Amino acid sequence: MNTAMKFKSFGTGLAAAAVASVLAACASTSVRPAGAIDARARLTRLQSDPALASRAPLAMQTADAAVRVAERPEADPDLEAHRVYMADRKIDIARAQAETRLAEDQRPELRAQSEKARLDARTRELDLAQSQTSLAKAEGAEQAADLQRQIDLAQARVAGSNLIVTLGNSLFSGDGTVLEDSSSGDLNRLAAVLDRYPDRTASIKGYTDDTGTEHGNQARSQRSADSVMAYLIAQGIAPDRLTASGMGDSSPVATNDSAFGRQQNRRVEVTIHTPESVER
Amino acid sequence: MLHTAAGLTGIFVLCACASTPPAPNANLQEARHAIGAAEQAEAGRYAPNELRAARANLAAADAAVRAQNMATAQRLADESTADAELATARTADVMANSVNSEMKRSTATLTNEMRRSSGDPQ
Repeated sequence: MNTAMKFKSFGTGLAAAAVASVLAACASTSVRPAGAIDARARLTRLQSDPALASRAPLAMQTADAAVRVAERPEADPDLEAHRVYMADRKIDIARAQAETRLAEDQRPELRAQSEKARLDARTRELDLAQSQTSLAKAEGAEQAADLQRQIDLAQARVAGSNLIVTLGNSLFSGDGTVLEDSSSGDLNRLAAVLDRYPDRTASIKGYTDDTGTEHGNQARSQRSADSVMAYLIAQGIAPDRLTASGMGDSSPVATNDSAFGRQQNRRVEVTIHTPESVER
Repeated sequence: MLHTAAGLTGIFVLCACASTPPAPNANLQEARHAIGAAEQAEAGRYAPNELRAARANLAAADAAVRAQNMATAQRLADESTADAELATARTADVMANSVNSEMKRSTATLTNEMRRSSGDPQ
């Protein structure tokens, strides 16, 4: 009897377990695995996009691992939902990083197109330009004086035949990443100078202080240089006259041991190159 | 013996439930750090929804800590970190692509102007 009872209760337990597992299966099929399946599908789409697949390998790996965790059967519905949420976010992060990288990789091609368009325009306008040569010569002396005035206006110094304009930390938000609305004064002056002297090119270099990781600083400095470049292009400066690079914390101009020094180090330097024709 | 084991397990489980686990301070700290980084990258302007989600999840995580619900707090903190990291990544994405759009726009303007001026009899 004892055995029979045990057997019976065992049977009941088994039945209950079966019901529970069926219920669980129903519940999970109707909600969470759907989330994990969806996440897997989105990740696969990203991984099979030839333009993006190889561009953020680390983030892709992280996303893949997160999807695998989300696919694991889990009794706790909250935990399962959490895992799907994390997987979704990691996939989106991987996609955003890959798209960023793609955009950066497209720059040389865009630069070449811009250069070609400008060259074509120049060729076509050569006659017109030649007729204006005498006028341009007369402007030469005025140009020099004008540049000198810019030196007084902005934080600028002469290096050889080039002019280096320093855009201070105050022009950038937070740790020097993006332009604030209030920044337009100095930047507009810079844009005006470049607009006025179309034969001059400018290299934009972003710098940070030594707070944070080297990788983060490099990315941040590239972002600030990029944002200055984007601003100047928006002001009508041809992209092929501009280059933007992030120098990280490599070249401090002041000590990184004080807040004031670090503030000096967070900056963007724009070098306005004097073309050979003007140099002579 | 089996019963004893089961009983012990029961006690063990009860103990685990009764004693409050520590707050997931490291996870909360990571979320705050990620949100700070996103804010500095101007995610408020370029990825406001993601940044808002990060803040909301962090607030919910803090509330879960006050309610002694540490497992939930840890998940919410991790979700907040992921939100914030996504905000930062999307911001970089938007900015990198806006540079490219400006370059394309500028080239297109130049090409159009040239076409127009070459069409003009001079």
